[in-house]
Amino acid sequence: MNQGRRRGFLNALLMLLITLAIASPIAAGAEGAAPAEIKIGHLHAASGPYASISMPVYDTLKLWVDQQNAAGGAFVKAFNKKIPLKLISYDDQSNPGTAAILINQLITQDKVDLLVCDSGSVLTAVAVPIAREHKMFLFDPTGTGAAFFSKDNPYIALLADPVSTVWPRYLWEFLKSDAAALGLKRVAILYATNDFTGTQASAIRAALKEAGSPSEIVFDQGVPTSTSNYSVLIDNIAATNPDIVLELGYVGNDIAFLRNLQDQDHKFKAVFTLYPGIETNVLMKNVGAQGLAGVFTYVTALGLTLKPEIGMTVEELRAAFEKAYGGGGVEFGWNAIAGHVTGLVIGETLAHADSLSQADLRQAVFGLSGKLKTLVGTFELREDGAQIGELTPIGQFGPDGKLAVVYPHEFATAKPKINAP
Amino acid sequence: MPRAARDFLRVGVPVVLLFALLPLFYQNELLLFNFVLFLILTQGLNAVYGFTGYLPFGYVGFFGAGAYGFALAVMHLAAPPLLALLLAGLAGVVLGLILTPLLRLSGAYFAIANLAAAQMVYQIIANPALADITKGPYGVSLASVFAPRASYAVALVILAFVLGLVAWLRHGRFGLALQAMRDDPVSAAMAGIPVLRGRVVAWLLSALIAGLAGGVFAWHISVFYPETAFDISISIFAIVFTLFGGAATLTGPIAGVLVLYGLYNVIGISVPQYFQLIYGALIVGLVLFLPRGFASLLSRRGIDVP
Amino acid sequence: MLLHALLGGVVFGCYFTLIGLGLNLVFGVMRIVNLAHGDVLMLGSFAAYFLFHLAALSPLSAAPLIVIGFFLLGLPFYYLVVPRLAASRDAEMLSFILFFGVQQIIEALAAIAFGSSERSIPARVLGIGAVHLWGQSLPRAWVISALVALAAVLALYLYLYHTRLGLLTRAVMASREEARASGIDIHRVSAIAFGIGLALAGLAGVFAPFMLGSITPAMGSTINLAAFAVIVVGTLGNPLGTVLGGLVYGVGLLMMQTYLSAWADLLPNLLLILVLLVRPSGLLGRRVRLA
Repeated sequence: MNQGRRRGFLNALLMLLITLAIASPIAAGAEGAAPAEIKIGHLHAASGPYASISMPVYDTLKLWVDQQNAAGGAFVKAFNKKIPLKLISYDDQSNPGTAAILINQLITQDKVDLLVCDSGSVLTAVAVPIAREHKMFLFDPTGTGAAFFSKDNPYIALLADPVSTVWPRYLWEFLKSDAAALGLKRVAILYATNDFTGTQASAIRAALKEAGSPSEIVFDQGVPTSTSNYSVLIDNIAATNPDIVLELGYVGNDIAFLRNLQDQDHKFKAVFTLYPGIETNVLMKNVGAQGLAGVFTYVTALGLTLKPEIGMTVEELRAAFEKAYGGGGVEFGWNAIAGHVTGLVIGETLAHADSLSQADLRQAVFGLSGKLKTLVGTFELREDGAQIGELTPIGQFGPDGKLAVVYPHEFATAKPKINAP
Repeated sequence: MPRAARDFLRVGVPVVLLFALLPLFYQNELLLFNFVLFLILTQGLNAVYGFTGYLPFGYVGFFGAGAYGFALAVMHLAAPPLLALLLAGLAGVVLGLILTPLLRLSGAYFAIANLAAAQMVYQIIANPALADITKGPYGVSLASVFAPRASYAVALVILAFVLGLVAWLRHGRFGLALQAMRDDPVSAAMAGIPVLRGRVVAWLLSALIAGLAGGVFAWHISVFYPETAFDISISIFAIVFTLFGGAATLTGPIAGVLVLYGLYNVIGISVPQYFQLIYGALIVGLVLFLPRGFASLLSRRGIDVP
Repeated sequence: MLLHALLGGVVFGCYFTLIGLGLNLVFGVMRIVNLAHGDVLMLGSFAAYFLFHLAALSPLSAAPLIVIGFFLLGLPFYYLVVPRLAASRDAEMLSFILFFGVQQIIEALAAIAFGSSERSIPARVLGIGAVHLWGQSLPRAWVISALVALAAVLALYLYLYHTRLGLLTRAVMASREEARASGIDIHRVSAIAFGIGLALAGLAGVFAPFMLGSITPAMGSTINLAAFAVIVVGTLGNPLGTVLGGLVYGVGLLMMQTYLSAWADLLPNLLLILVLLVRPSGLLGRRVRLA
């Protein structure tokens, strides 16, 4: 009995040690002059609820790394030469606990030079304190949660999405000016109760309630993010007789809402939803041009023709993406662009940082603020690392499925139209 | 020396020591912390499943309640971490008390009802209507108390306590009575064992353990969303590890965590592109070829597994 | 609004009956919980998606193919897995784990094969626009899915109560041991029931792109939670009770959306727990409570 007990424990111990031995990487090479490669650590979610926003980022980041390597690597100022890049990307399966471990693995075992977290705020969140603890600068592609950014944490920068408190600025300005002038004064807000859309809804609500606002909120309700049928909700909204309906949700929510809208007798004068301008391909394929006609949305780089000073244009990137991943079930859209922007920022950081120390990397990233012009516009960081540079104008789909900018006026290519009630 | 103390010294102490020393050699402390966390959770699950036969599929509900108990205590009472941790345990126990009526159910009914209960707690905490209290879907940030070393050490203390508790359950009068109830509730009741009270106590102990684990998790990870604290895979992992190690033993769940969670991380790090596929196949293979767990490999040969 | 929520709930609930039906049959006959049910449904959705986009088959003509295909897949899968499982000490509990593993495999393979972006079948395929019933307008897809669901329930009823195999199936559901003792080939009966269970999941999947807006490889776990609520409320192990569960679920959900939308997802869980506590055997069940 005694022997068996001891053997059981020894077996367990042995197995653990084997596990750890396999898990730890081959010892890192000695510190030399220039490293043979620059290691970029990254996480993606190949499955689970965040896969649909995470995979496009991963795909284009990988594409960017491959392109750099095809050209002999990225120019690294610290060593004054081109050095090949190595992308180490683990799959966290949309599981935050696993994401935390893998981020730590990238830092402590793979000893990556640059650290990029997964997109989506839930998966970004776990990386924020870990990066800070290890004094690693965190390249955050699209995790927009307001809680990540504080003045006392220098170890994060948001690269490719405006922070969620700033993002809806043009929307409320539009509602209070042009939309109100068109008679769209009664506003209904229907939002999915998660960090991303909930924060946007609060910002819009607060702006519309300010003194002197011509808008009136007639419906304001949250629904669980898992909501996949909006028929009854649309009915309830119609009962409050709104002029414009704002539906703020994730891709799946917006698709279900817009499809349900087609099945209804009610036709609202105006409808705004988030994703038609963000993941235009996905929405177009799922809802159709007919279902999107007249819908207002945020216009991202997808609908603007900004001239980048660095990197590809949207159309070049789209072509490269289709060539590399076409037909693989990951659609080209804003998140794919975000992955490319992440690559560009990393490249420029390496080209400007005096050394690969995290402090110098940070300084280089913040040094790009206001100067770097990519396919999404000007890269601009707030003091706490939140992204405030990119523009998210308001656009409207025409009957042909083309998205035109209607607000603000300096970018406008068309005038907003309202549906016949 | 009583058998419980002997088991604890021979199995519990080495495990705790091992995880106390490993950070000196291995830097991915978060991975070690998660090992400790699952060692705690599997023993907590063991306390209820191994000794009463109830399998709580929503075990993560207590864990999440603990995590939010800790977060609320820090945010609203400015409680020091150790006090907040006690409140996290309390949150687990209170939820356990509320859910005591579920013990009237059995088998799949209990498992599903418990899962639904955990979902409800999540949905209430994540609801924006309570954002002023829980921060709702916007997530909490506990940067003010963030202390990875200290929280790791406290997790080890909790682990030691839990291992001691299960060693006692295995050999103490109370635990033996529980096992008698699990195997034959009618005869146990006739023999004068207070069946209901025994089950409730095991249930609450298990809830306390998960609450403590959730609290120390919140302390260690410090920035999280409700989805993180109520991630259903926490329940499922704890159950898989416990069942495969062998419930109602002290070493079984430990071996389950070390081997299966070890493999999980090895696969995730070495073959990320087929991570989920390989792990899923591993679980299916284990159920089909080793349905009674690792402990059965030894006990089948007449070896007593502590 | 009340009438709309009630009527809509009944129609919507019929579809949720279909979602729970196969899961409940499998539990009733085999006493195992198929945690991969939602993922089988997801595969049905993708089958319908590809049959439409690659073979231009409308979902209504794809449905019989998918039903037959999934049934045929179910038979070998049963013999491969379930008899081994039934031999273990706590098969009911172990089935959760086994099918969790199966779910992981299916989701991983689907993510590799289909990619992660949302997809659907255009709404016009089933017809765009509302159907008017008693002055209320309902989406056409809801009405069509509800009719298909009712046809499936009817077919299952006829199978269980008007065929010899159905009689044997009910005998196995009543008591596996007694059925075995009286010479019934319980594995043959169970394998067919398992096949029917997967076929019903596949059929429910065909309509998911219309009922849920879009489909992704990750959709299975959300579906499972709804399916659990439906079958527990309707009586676990009684396939026809699923109808009641589906209706309670549908009406409850739409009422919640109407009057307290932010809490709508709380309701299925609340219903489930209340029903179990008040009537542990489900609304229609025999007494099965042990304690």
